[in-house]
Amino acid sequence: MAFVEQHIHDAPTSFWSKYVVSYDHKVIAKQFLWYALFWGLVGGLMSILIRWTLAYPGVPVPLIGNMLFPASGGVVPPDTYAMLFTLHGTIMIFFFITPLLIGCFGNYCIPLMIGARDMIFPTLNMLSFWFAMASGLVLFASLCIPLGGAAGGWTSYPTLSTNIGQPGAGQTMWLISLFLFGISSTMGAVNYITTVITLRAPGMGYFKMPLTIWGLWLTAILNAIFVPVLGAGLLLLTFDRVFGTTFFLAGAAATSGRGDPILFQHVFWIFGHPEVYILILPAWGIVSDLLSFFARKPAFGYKMTALSLSAITVLSTVVYGHHMYTTQMSPLLTQSFMTLTMLISIPSAIFFANWLGTIWKGSIQFHSPMLFSLGVVFVFGLGGLTGLYLASTSIDLYLHDTYFVVGHFHYTMAASVLLGGFAGVYFWMPKMFGRMMNETLAKWHFWLTMIGINGIFMGMMIVGYGGMHRRLYNPFIYEFLHKLIPINNFISYSAFFAAAAQILFIYNLFKTVFAKNYPAAGKNPWGVGTLEWEIDSPAPHYNFKDIPVVKCGPHEFGNPNLTTGRDYQYQTEELVKV
Amino acid sequence: MDFSFYERLTGMIAAGSELVLKAEEQMSFWERVKPPVDISSSGHLIEWLFNYTTYVNLFWFALVCIGLFGFSFLYSAKRHKKAFYTHGNEKNHLLITAAIGLGVFLSVDLVITRVSSHDMKEVFWNFPENDPEVIKVQVLAQQWAWNFRHAGKDGEFNTADDVVELNRLVVPVNKKVMIQMTSKDVIHAFYLVNARIKADAIPGRFAKIWFDTNRVGDYEIACAEMCGPHHYLMKARLQVLDADNYQRWLNETHERALATNDTESMDLRWGWKWESR
Repeated sequence: MAFVEQHIHDAPTSFWSKYVVSYDHKVIAKQFLWYALFWGLVGGLMSILIRWTLAYPGVPVPLIGNMLFPASGGVVPPDTYAMLFTLHGTIMIFFFITPLLIGCFGNYCIPLMIGARDMIFPTLNMLSFWFAMASGLVLFASLCIPLGGAAGGWTSYPTLSTNIGQPGAGQTMWLISLFLFGISSTMGAVNYITTVITLRAPGMGYFKMPLTIWGLWLTAILNAIFVPVLGAGLLLLTFDRVFGTTFFLAGAAATSGRGDPILFQHVFWIFGHPEVYILILPAWGIVSDLLSFFARKPAFGYKMTALSLSAITVLSTVVYGHHMYTTQMSPLLTQSFMTLTMLISIPSAIFFANWLGTIWKGSIQFHSPMLFSLGVVFVFGLGGLTGLYLASTSIDLYLHDTYFVVGHFHYTMAASVLLGGFAGVYFWMPKMFGRMMNETLAKWHFWLTMIGINGIFMGMMIVGYGGMHRRLYNPFIYEFLHKLIPINNFISYSAFFAAAAQILFIYNLFKTVFAKNYPAAGKNPWGVGTLEWEIDSPAPHYNFKDIPVVKCGPHEFGNPNLTTGRDYQYQTEELVKV
Repeated sequence: MDFSFYERLTGMIAAGSELVLKAEEQMSFWERVKPPVDISSSGHLIEWLFNYTTYVNLFWFALVCIGLFGFSFLYSAKRHKKAFYTHGNEKNHLLITAAIGLGVFLSVDLVITRVSSHDMKEVFWNFPENDPEVIKVQVLAQQWAWNFRHAGKDGEFNTADDVVELNRLVVPVNKKVMIQMTSKDVIHAFYLVNARIKADAIPGRFAKIWFDTNRVGDYEIACAEMCGPHHYLMKARLQVLDADNYQRWLNETHERALATNDTESMDLRWGWKWESR
């Protein structure tokens, strides 16, 4: 372990240096938290408009319809509908999940959980947030221009996303915005990787790191390798749109030479498949830790879990072709991608078994972070298993581009990541703001969200199995989809229900953070032994007065020979022999 | 924005949903979620594999639920005061987890990889190129319509007697149909739900698909790949006729094509020589 000297700097005093251009990883984490919540609300509102349109095609949206779509009398028009699902996907992936799990928890947890005073490159960290901010502003601006924002799907396949399909400036701004976001992500990733390698406290070997850090670290590695690939694709597409090149143009519009639209799909999915693991790995890490923390029992098969996550990280880089079966790649490629995809089952099943092994014979405390973690086990079980259908080339002939796919990836990427994110917020809130969130509200929030999201995504898989294809403004143009109207309505009601349940969370969060005279949480309200729980809440500016020396693993619970009166050991304590 | 469009749309939907309500309000849930009728000789392969995957998945998911809910019940802090201290890294622990990993792989992944590879190779990728009976059709997708081209009597594509139709594909029952397809503008996907067939129509490339039909009737062809704001309107009709009616239709349209096809019109000249690879 390289030795890096970490000085204690004076805390900044002015508002500007404390909250705006802050170099402190904890403040940057909070900046990303608010950023993510803002965009989560925008993206969520978009999904409500989408579901409204599917449940009541041609009916004006109540309350806000006339304000947003005056030209059509409050009805969502077809072109706006396309923009809505495009930006819903973009925003939820890049502007909500990424900042929440990677920006917020990555920044907050990495230095605190490995025993460092800050990230290794604080300036890069600050720039990472401000590039994300610039990216968000460009995307927001694209909503306000004539012809509106990008409307070619979040995958933005050419040639639909070239000038022949998207004549407005919205698509170009989308490309620039994501390019800026890529810069931000890459900066963050380089920082995370280096920090974990160089700033681990003395004694903190890789297999003594909490699994949260494993998840975040593997995510950062994938980010650093694959976000630049996306950047290349975005740049070439921007050239096609702005400078008249024809990298991706073919067909009647390719008058000055032709390229190949499928090339973009390859570039996009080389990034796009690792991206789904980029999003889920932090959530897996958090859940692996929390299950152990609240079962008051060491993580079952810790090393196997860490190695499984690493194996999935490696495999995730060589399976992207399963998104492109219908483009009719060569059978050799198609079958190779299918076989490689199937291999992911093995490490997934292993860490799943370890999760269940962790709660087996535990002494489970059902606090809100635990409920959300158990929720992740349930929804990711469904999401993972339904992936098997789509990985199979022949079943995919039927299910490709149907709502079955939508249901599947929402179970894995939306439901699991969202529940994992909530678990994280409830769990680290006392360390971040020094206050506990209200448990009763949190539990209500969990159960209502759980009912809502399962209604939505199970419903989507059912209509997908019934043959309903994606991205339809009005699916009931098709006679074979008529009988699915009631189920579609059910999905929409579930979506409205799940959205309403989030009011509980927002209320709870704002009350906890901003209320006056709120009781303080104390150093270690959950009784957990990782490094961040040994320091004050909220964590002081310099994190650790003395850099801690790590002597045991992060999940030492329930050792029968403990004499401290606690059922857990801090990582700085010598492991008690059994 | 054209106001009347929305009025028309609303009217259409209202009429449509009334129709649906009358015919389908009595439907049970299971009937409702059943995929549309399968008119192909190959669709049952997909159905079989889907069902197999479902049964095995249900088994594994049941195990997850037993673990999740069972352990949550048995080992809640109230019921189980003291947790059992283990790191789960003993030999038998590792064996059990490895067995579960391998069990999932062998019971689902290996089987479906094997079966779908076999089905693809023997059926879905086994194009009836050399079958003299096969009905050949060229398809040009565009925003937001499907163009279909039969070769006509001479059997040659892109000649004056080609039968070209918009949003209507006519085929004889019990015959294999082979399609070569491309797109004029953006990527579309030919989606014939009743034959369980889907393939992208990509500008600058030829895609090929084949299917057959075993019952006469009218079916819907959809575009499955997002292709612009009116993606949802890109619908065509598949008309499956019996042999006599198909011959009659072919004769009629062939005559009409010879009489009325304007050979100078660019709209009719989009065909290509059949690619035999």
